[in-house]
Amino acid sequence: MDFAYILEALPDLMTGLKTTLIVSFLAIFLSCLIGLLGAVLRTSGVKPLQYAVTAYVEFIRGTPYLVQIFFIFYGLPSLGMRFSIFWSGVIALTAWASAFQIENFRAGLAAVGRGMYDASASLGLKRWQHSVFVILPLATRAALPSAMNTIVATVKNSAYLQAIGLVELTFVAVDRIAYDFRAIEMFASICVIYLLCVFTISGLGYVVERRLSRPFGGR
Amino acid sequence: MLLLEFQSFLLGGLLNTLFLSSVMIAGGTLFAVIFAAGLSAQSAWLRRPVYGLVECLRDIPLMVTVLMVYFVLPHAGLSFNPFWSSALSVSVWGGANGAHIIRAGLLSVPSGQREAALSSGLRGWKGLFLVILPQAMPVILPPYVSLITSLTQASSLGAVLGVNELLRSAQILIEQTTIARGGSPAYLIYGSILIAYFALCWSISALGAKFERHFAKPYLRANGRTQPAAPTVALQATMT
Repeated sequence: MDFAYILEALPDLMTGLKTTLIVSFLAIFLSCLIGLLGAVLRTSGVKPLQYAVTAYVEFIRGTPYLVQIFFIFYGLPSLGMRFSIFWSGVIALTAWASAFQIENFRAGLAAVGRGMYDASASLGLKRWQHSVFVILPLATRAALPSAMNTIVATVKNSAYLQAIGLVELTFVAVDRIAYDFRAIEMFASICVIYLLCVFTISGLGYVVERRLSRPFGGR
Repeated sequence: MLLLEFQSFLLGGLLNTLFLSSVMIAGGTLFAVIFAAGLSAQSAWLRRPVYGLVECLRDIPLMVTVLMVYFVLPHAGLSFNPFWSSALSVSVWGGANGAHIIRAGLLSVPSGQREAALSSGLRGWKGLFLVILPQAMPVILPPYVSLITSLTQASSLGAVLGVNELLRSAQILIEQTTIARGGSPAYLIYGSILIAYFALCWSISALGAKFERHFAKPYLRANGRTQPAAPTVALQATMT
């Protein structure tokens, strides 16, 4: 293990890490939004919408993520939709993560009992107040552990995007190995970086879960 | 039609995918059993390193594991061709995820069952296979089937190393036709491949559901008479 070499490569790795984090952050943000929206649509009672969302979720979960990336990056341009490598990556990662977030939030919504509706109706809350102030906090709380898992998986799956040439952490490492043949040093350092990212995010998730698992109200 | 014209080429890729995923499923199950045994070991000297290894494998992106096995093992004097290299790395990853599924399944069986097996003279392997495992199956199977579909999907990672499986065949086909005829048929070919993978994974899930019903049956009957031994631990294996 040549630590001097790792130090020398560190600036490059950090640029890669920056791209990894930006892509992941965008995908996490968008997939949570789409996940919530999809979960609401899936439980909306409108049959065609429900079928469409279910079909989307099943299709994404039933096909390899790598093929989805290739389809988006190489396939869509011939259908008239051309995106840069960066945005193809964001779209692919978001499309993948959304399917899982829809499932997570759907389970969260299902965990909120029917009694809550009756309770808030009896308190005179309007329908939107009920949705925003009662259902949303409770559903988020129930969905959080599995949503955190998907968020961690989103960061990890950003590594797949090196296959289309997005210059993120894994790409930088493999690229340097092609020149310097220092495979052990490079892989050791990116493994440590990925592990640190994963531990940080799951740690944050744990803190948020602890805060949210206190009973609401009572001030 | 391009697809019909190069039918045999793509079918060859599909066959390789089927073979590669079978190797990954078998290898993954083998590693899962080994890791699960390590995780349940009495000695902390054995349990802790296995636990650390399993956690690392679960937390490092699969793409990195695949590339790492391919690039680093030759430095240790172990050279594999792309096929066996990808099979090894995905198997180890599957084993790390499977180990937790198996362990949670075994733990979901109440300890009274183990004691009952012992008092009936069923010790060691006999107790495990005749008493514990059949009751753990309803808990193990659902997440394990989804792990198997994940492994099948992960076989597409072989294309990154250059194994001639379905995705790689598609890439070659697209390159060749783009050069020879102009105009990329990428959306058509990748689209068809997506559908092929979906059909494959869907069949695996359907088959898995059949097994799940089979293992759920005898206990459903017994539940009428005795206390229900309903599985309490729900696990979900996600493609991570």
